[in-house]
Amino acid sequence: MSRKIIGLVFCFLLVVSSLMTVFAAQPAIENELVLITPVSKFIVDAALEKFKGYAQERWGVSVKVSASHDGTPTCYGKIVEWNGRPQADIFWGGESALFDELAKKNLLEKLQLSEELMSLIPAEIGEPKPLPIKDPNGYWVGSTLEPYGLIYNPKLLKRLGVDEIKTWDDLLNPKLKGWVAQCTPDRSSSSHASYEVILQLLGWEKAWEWTEKLAANTANFSARSRDVPSTVAKGEAAVGFAVPSYMAFEEVLAGYEVKYVAPDYCFITCEPIAVIAGAKNSRTAQAFIEFLQMEEGQRVFMERGLFPITPRYRVFGAPGSTAERAVEFTGGVRSFFDKPTKNIYDSELAQERYSEVNETFRKRIVERHNELKKK
Amino acid sequence: MKASTARAGIDKRFSGNWENPILRWNGWRVLPIYIFLAVFVIVPIIKIALDAFTDTQGILTFKYVKSFFTDPFYLRALRNSMLLGLAVVVTTSILGFCSAYFLLRYEFAGKKLFSYLTIFPIIMPPLVGVMGFIFILGRAGTVNTILMDYFGFLRPLNFVYGWHGVLLVETLHLFPLITMNLLDSMGKIDASLEEAAESVGSVGLRKIKDITFPLSTPGYVTGALLVFMWAFADFATPLVVGVQDLLAAQAYLNIVQFVDRRLFQMGIVIGVFMISLSIIFLIIARRYLALKDYATLSYSPVEKKTLKGWGGFLVPFFFTVLLIMAFIPYLGVTLAAFGKAWAMTPFPVQYTLGYFTRIITETPKYIINTFMYCGLAVIICITVGVPIAWILTRTKMKSRGLLDALVTLILALPGTALGIAYIRAFNMPIFGISLTTLWIIMPLVLAVRRLPYTVRSTHSSLLVVHESLEEAARSVGASGWRVFYNITLPLIWKGILTGALFSFMTSIQESAATILLAIPGWETMTVGIFTFYTSGSMNESAALGFILIVVGGLSLYVINKLSGKKMGGFFG
Repeated sequence: MSRKIIGLVFCFLLVVSSLMTVFAAQPAIENELVLITPVSKFIVDAALEKFKGYAQERWGVSVKVSASHDGTPTCYGKIVEWNGRPQADIFWGGESALFDELAKKNLLEKLQLSEELMSLIPAEIGEPKPLPIKDPNGYWVGSTLEPYGLIYNPKLLKRLGVDEIKTWDDLLNPKLKGWVAQCTPDRSSSSHASYEVILQLLGWEKAWEWTEKLAANTANFSARSRDVPSTVAKGEAAVGFAVPSYMAFEEVLAGYEVKYVAPDYCFITCEPIAVIAGAKNSRTAQAFIEFLQMEEGQRVFMERGLFPITPRYRVFGAPGSTAERAVEFTGGVRSFFDKPTKNIYDSELAQERYSEVNETFRKRIVERHNELKKK
Repeated sequence: MKASTARAGIDKRFSGNWENPILRWNGWRVLPIYIFLAVFVIVPIIKIALDAFTDTQGILTFKYVKSFFTDPFYLRALRNSMLLGLAVVVTTSILGFCSAYFLLRYEFAGKKLFSYLTIFPIIMPPLVGVMGFIFILGRAGTVNTILMDYFGFLRPLNFVYGWHGVLLVETLHLFPLITMNLLDSMGKIDASLEEAAESVGSVGLRKIKDITFPLSTPGYVTGALLVFMWAFADFATPLVVGVQDLLAAQAYLNIVQFVDRRLFQMGIVIGVFMISLSIIFLIIARRYLALKDYATLSYSPVEKKTLKGWGGFLVPFFFTVLLIMAFIPYLGVTLAAFGKAWAMTPFPVQYTLGYFTRIITETPKYIINTFMYCGLAVIICITVGVPIAWILTRTKMKSRGLLDALVTLILALPGTALGIAYIRAFNMPIFGISLTTLWIIMPLVLAVRRLPYTVRSTHSSLLVVHESLEEAARSVGASGWRVFYNITLPLIWKGILTGALFSFMTSIQESAATILLAIPGWETMTVGIFTFYTSGSMNESAALGFILIVVGGLSLYVINKLSGKKMGGFFG
């Protein structure tokens, strides 16, 4: 009898303790998450807020989130500088080539996304030159699709007697003299990508002539590329290179009158996201990346002027909703998978001559800007 | 009995090698102060200087310095920065001298108000000022919209973009530095000197040239030095108005981009260059001041004349125009902080509190951090600054000269350079943690940057307290601390408080060093202003700027109440 009881008690203890170890081993997430990102506050704050709710619901963990906003080159430089002892968990946004560089340097942690979510994302987009939107080695994955196009102020253009902007060459209209906002390529990787598109479209020498003409229309170079949309919205400039999530669409929501166009062959980013090697909150970081791939996460982008990373979703909303206003803002595009996307951007070529382009820009454009303006 | 032993004790102290009894215990008790200054001022400067001369392997090299001095772009930037600094000194000197002279020598309508408002422009937070100018004077600003909409102008006038814009913004921001320093030194000119000049026929402008100018040079030189370094080190204003070929702008751009190591190294070289320049200027200024120290302890101030006729109209007119110009950014920032989607109209069409709601509810950390760090910084300022002031006034320690020089050097050190130096010096882990990963570095750098104000204010209060009071207390047996607590402190607390408030007011405006050091979660309001601005949310920047201005204005009001007319002393 007593032996039976002892046996039962023993069994009970065994079950309890094994259950406890199972629960303890359950990969509950850390309660903190730090991002380093060039993606706008507008997108990042919304995504983090949604993720907090999700983490609370799924794991009952209240996650303290924060993000440091820097340009892509700065983020990249900081991660290299930290060298495995990072002050952030996630690197999000910019050009995938930099993510490949980091992976090569062993500074990224492998992603642990489910096969199912991974398979929803196509390997690449665009022709004739396809652009990868997930890393075949599994170090980074695209989060959303975003073109690097042009933002313009229709009211101001009307006053200047200029038609709506549709192509790259529209920027060279002499009536726009003094009204183009521009940022130098060494200060902004998104501007760099747009200049690189022109270089690859027109060829080296012709492209620089084109850029000189653009500089003739430019009053001054702004400090950061993200000044461009706000100066256009304010009416300080009429048109400039811009990325929709980097403020452009937020200006619309804030009540400003601006429109956006993605000219043919414009650069498209998938805003790659990755966990930094040595991250203190690696499990939360993995969970955040997974969250962005789910419908709730993709909705964050779709409601803010960006496009889903997978053909499974298309931007739709009730009439007058922000999603529909975003569609109107970007000229009726609902998904980048609806029709073939034109791309010629060769990122290897771009990466190879990155410094050369910056240096040439400094010598041929910035240093001669006063002279070019007189032309 | 007790008194006699105390007396004997003092006699014993006197018999030592020291000239003053307090010296002996000061010698070792103030050691922590020296360690603090060594670690947080000297070490970073040495480290960044070493960095400029060593390559990645740590081998001595001159290649970075050489490539700086052989690159025509940097040489042009250097020349431009020098020219800009000089130009701002010239323009601020004219405005500063006129306003100080009018305020000191004449009575006219609205004088009290003008005298208070003249100091105001200096509390404009960085970046916010130039933004405010753009809102009013930009291509789509209030003035140009009015000109185009109602006066038929086809193209906007360019008020701010370019060199003239930098000069305009810096001049209207910095002229109070000259005014305050001149008010301080000019106010001490004895009336008898001017009377003497007049008696031998030196009147009017000649009297100003013969007497007033030479006698106000000590104050003027410090003011001019600070204006020069400030304009030289400011990177925000030129970048916003599209001027890039300046050293400070290049230093900032080169350091915040981490990709190109050559550019990063150039940023370090520029930082070292700035530090060297401030040291050189300081040495020149001190030489000059040492030769021409006209300070008099007792003086009878020159009698003020009441202005009549044209003068009575022109002087208030001068101040009105000057202050309207200087308050343009305040108007612009306020409109932008409350105006909804303000574009291409002279004034906002709709108003909203939305930007304030956003910065207060969504990102309260900016405000919380600012008050926490600046509060801590002030505590550090007092803990370190009051003993320094004590050493300078009450001891004859040999290192006093060095201490004084260090404190003045901090005043002239550009924040950008100090920020770079901190990044380089405190990135090395000690016991596995490097200081740059701990938030305490923020209040520390703020405290170091603003230490001189607390020191100077305490210093001038201590000068006024006669030592005989303290000696009397000691003669009846009070110990060093008790003397300080019972006698000195009650007499100087106002000075300490004013200095601390001034340190607080200026540290909430600090951005250069903190922007380079802040990592996620540590952002202060000034960093927030940059973050919002660079992510395109000018209105949220303006809202943060508005709060900073209000806090700054309140502090200035309290300081004014506490210290009377002695504001000039802070910057000198």
